[in-house]
Amino acid sequence: MKWADIKNSFSDFWKEFKRVKSGIFGLVLFIIFLLIVIFEPLVLPFGEVNDTWRDITYWEDNPKSAQPEWTNFFRSEKLSTSSKLTDPEVHINDMGALKMETVSFKYDYQFSGAPKDIVLKAHGTGNPLIVLSVTRPDGEEIELLQKPLFLEDGSDVRISLAKDSRDSVYEFARDYESRVNVGKSDPKLFDVPMVLFSKAQEGILRDSLSEALKGEYTFSANIILQNENDTMDDFSLIIPGQVYGVLGTDAYKRDLWSGVLAGVKWALLIGILTAIVSVSIGVIFGVVSAYYGGWKDSLMQRIFEIFRSIPLLPLLIVLSAVFKPSLFMLIGMMCIFFWTGPVKTVRSMAMQIKEETYIEATRALGGGHGRIIFKHMVPLLIPYSFASMALFIPGAIVYEATISLLGLGDATIVTWGQILSDALKNGAVLNGLWWWVVPPGLCIALMGMAFAFIGFAMDKILHPKLRTR
Amino acid sequence: MYWKYVIKRLINGVIIFIILVFIYSVIFNVQLEQTVRTMIEEKVRAEEMALSTGNMTPQQIKQYSQERRDHYYRIYNLDKSVPERVLINTVNSVVFNFGNSTIIKSSEGSMDVRTIVFETIPRTLLLFATAAIIDIIIGLLLGIKKAQKPGSGLDKTTSVSTMIVFGMPSWWLGMLMMMLFVYTIPLFPSGGMVSTPPPEGSMAMAGDVLYHLALPVLTLVVLGFWGRAFITRNIVLGTLQEDFIMSARARGIPERKVLYGHAMKTAAPPIVTMALLALLASISGNIVFEGIFSWPGMGNLYWVAVEQNDIPVLMGDLTTTTMVYLSGLVILDLIYGFLDPRIKVGGKE
Repeated sequence: MKWADIKNSFSDFWKEFKRVKSGIFGLVLFIIFLLIVIFEPLVLPFGEVNDTWRDITYWEDNPKSAQPEWTNFFRSEKLSTSSKLTDPEVHINDMGALKMETVSFKYDYQFSGAPKDIVLKAHGTGNPLIVLSVTRPDGEEIELLQKPLFLEDGSDVRISLAKDSRDSVYEFARDYESRVNVGKSDPKLFDVPMVLFSKAQEGILRDSLSEALKGEYTFSANIILQNENDTMDDFSLIIPGQVYGVLGTDAYKRDLWSGVLAGVKWALLIGILTAIVSVSIGVIFGVVSAYYGGWKDSLMQRIFEIFRSIPLLPLLIVLSAVFKPSLFMLIGMMCIFFWTGPVKTVRSMAMQIKEETYIEATRALGGGHGRIIFKHMVPLLIPYSFASMALFIPGAIVYEATISLLGLGDATIVTWGQILSDALKNGAVLNGLWWWVVPPGLCIALMGMAFAFIGFAMDKILHPKLRTR
Repeated sequence: MYWKYVIKRLINGVIIFIILVFIYSVIFNVQLEQTVRTMIEEKVRAEEMALSTGNMTPQQIKQYSQERRDHYYRIYNLDKSVPERVLINTVNSVVFNFGNSTIIKSSEGSMDVRTIVFETIPRTLLLFATAAIIDIIIGLLLGIKKAQKPGSGLDKTTSVSTMIVFGMPSWWLGMLMMMLFVYTIPLFPSGGMVSTPPPEGSMAMAGDVLYHLALPVLTLVVLGFWGRAFITRNIVLGTLQEDFIMSARARGIPERKVLYGHAMKTAAPPIVTMALLALLASISGNIVFEGIFSWPGMGNLYWVAVEQNDIPVLMGDLTTTTMVYLSGLVILDLIYGFLDPRIKVGGKE
C-alpha cells in the first residue's frame, strides 16, 4: 500500500467514524486520558508520587482517611480543610548570650469540624529550647508544650500537637468542664485538636457536646537559642484537616488524586501494549493458518484449541503467585495467553480473501508466501484488527487490576488495582471510605468504556449489516 | 450420527485436558518440588527430635536423617529424573491426586487438596449458574425487543449501557454493592454462604443460602445481561434481514410468527453458544469476585491460597478450574451440535 492509499482509506474511515456519536465520545475520553499522561508532571499535586507511593514518611503530613474537599459543598457544617502555613511572623530578640526567636502563625478557623492535627515543622541545629503556645479567639492563651531539642546539623524538627500537647490541653479543658464529663473523659484518648478548637464551656471534653469556636488562632513558638551555633529556621505549620484535596486520602495518608492520576499511564500502557501484541499475533496466526490450509491448518487449529481452553485469569493468578512477575513480565504473560480472541474470525475472513483472483495473480507472478500474507492479506484485516484491539484493551486492564487486587501486582508502580487492593485490605468497604473505593474503579470502568465506545463504533462501520436503519 | 460426534468431542476434551495439565506441570514443576522438599525437611527434623539421641554419635544421627530423607525422596519421586517427575506429576494431576495442602483445611478439617477443592465446585456452580440463568432470560427478552425496533430509544440506551459496563470489574461493583446494601443500608448479609450458626431445617437452610446468594447474583446480573441482550439483538437483527424472512413477511405471516417461528429458529444456535460462551468467560474472568463476598467457592479459594501461599492448593484449584471450564466448552459444543444439524452430519468442523 502506498502512503496516499493509507491516507485515503483513513479519511474515508474518519468520515464514517465521525457519524457515530458514541465513537466520538469514546475518542474524547481517550484523548483526555492521553492528555493526563502527557501533562502528568503539571497536574500531579505530589510530583514524586511514582517513587514515593509506598514511602510512609513522605505522606506523614497529610490527614489520615480524609474525605475529598468538595464534600464540604454538601454540608451545612463545614469540616476543616487541610492547609499549610509557610509565612510566619518572625521576631528575633538578641539578648547577648541568648537569642530569642518568636515565630507566630495566624490560622483563621471557620469550620465546625476540627483538624486532625497541628504540626509544626522546622529545620535546626544545636539544642534550642522551644515553647509553643496558642492564643484563641476568646483570648485564652494556652501554653501547649515546652521542649528542649537536640538536633544534629540541619536536621528536621517535627512537632505534632495532637501527640505532644495532650497533657496541657487536658489541663486547660478540665477547668471549664463539668465534673461528670471530666469523669467520663479519658486524658489519654480524647481528641486534642477538637478540644483546642472548641468553645471553653461545659461539654468541651465530649465530642458530641462541644461547640466549635470560630475565629483567628495564633500559634506562636518561642525558641531560645542558647549557643552561638544554634539555629532554627524554615518554619511551617501544617494543618491536616478532615477533608483533603480532590479525592481525599487513604488510611496511609496518601493523596488519592495523585495515585489515581499516576495510574492512568500504567493502565494505558498495559491495555494498549497487550492488545497490540496479542491481536497482532492472533491475526497473523489466523491468516497463516487459513493461507496454508491442509495439515498445517489443522495443526494450528489444534494449538489454538488448546490455548482457547485455558481459563486465563486463574492461570494468570497462579503464575503471578508463583513467579511474582514485574509489570512487563505480566504483560508478556498476558500476551502469551490472550491472542486466541481474533483467530476464529480472522481465519474465516482470510479463507475468503485467499480465494480472490489477485492473490492467484500474485502467486502466478512468483510472489512468495510471506509477500502474499503480509502485503496482500494482512493489510485487508487491519481495520478489523484495530476494532478488536480496542475491545481487547479493557480486558487487559481489568486482568492486571484483578492480579493487583489479590496483592500480586508489581510493587514498584502505582496502579488502580493496587489502590483498590489496599482499600480492601484496610476495610475501606466495611468503614464506608467510598472516596478510596470509587475513584480507582471508576477510572478502570471509564477507560474500559472509552475503548468499548471506540471499538463498537469501528465494529459498526465494519459490519454494515448491523447498522440501525 | 450424534453419538459419534459426542464421543469424539469427549475424547478430544480429555486429550486437551491432559495436554494442559502437562503444560502446567512443566511450568510449575520447580515451585511444586520446592514445597515438597520443605515439607520433607520438616518431617526429617521432627523425626530427628523425636529420636532419643542420648546413645548416638552425631555421625549416626546425620546418617539416620539422611536415610529418612532418601526414604521420603523415594516416596515423593524426587530421586527420579526431571522429565520422569513431570510425567508423574501430570498423571497425578489428571486423576486429581494433588497430595496434601500446606496450611489450608477443608470444612471437615481434611488436608487433602482434592477434598478442599472439590467441595468448592458446587458452590461456584450454584452462584454462576443462578446468575447465568437470570442473566440469559433477561438478556434474551431484552435482545429480541431491541432487534424488533433497531435504532429506537430503548435499543440505543441499552446499547450504550452495554459499553458502559464493558470494562467494569465485577469485583469493584461487588465492593460498591457491599458498601451500599450491606453497610449503609443493611439489606443483605456481609458475605459467606450461610449464617453462623446455620439455621435448623432444610427449608430454612435453603432460604438462608438464597439470602446470601442474592447480592452476588444481583451484581453479576447487573453487569452481564446488557452484553447478552446486545449479542442477541445483533444475531436476531442479522437473521431478520435474510431473504427468507422477507418472503415470510410477503406471504402475510403475522410478524409475531415470523419472529418467533422463523427468525428464532435460525438465530437460536448462535444465541445459545454466545450466551454459554459468555457464561464460561464470566466464570474464568469473574471467579475472583467471590472473594469480595467471601462466597466459599473456587474463586475464594484462590484468595485464601494466595494469602497463605499454599502452592499445592493453588495448583489443585487451577487444574480443577481448567477441568470445569473445559467441560463447559465441551458441553457447549454438544449443545451446538444438537441444535445445528449441519454439524453432526458433516464430519468436518
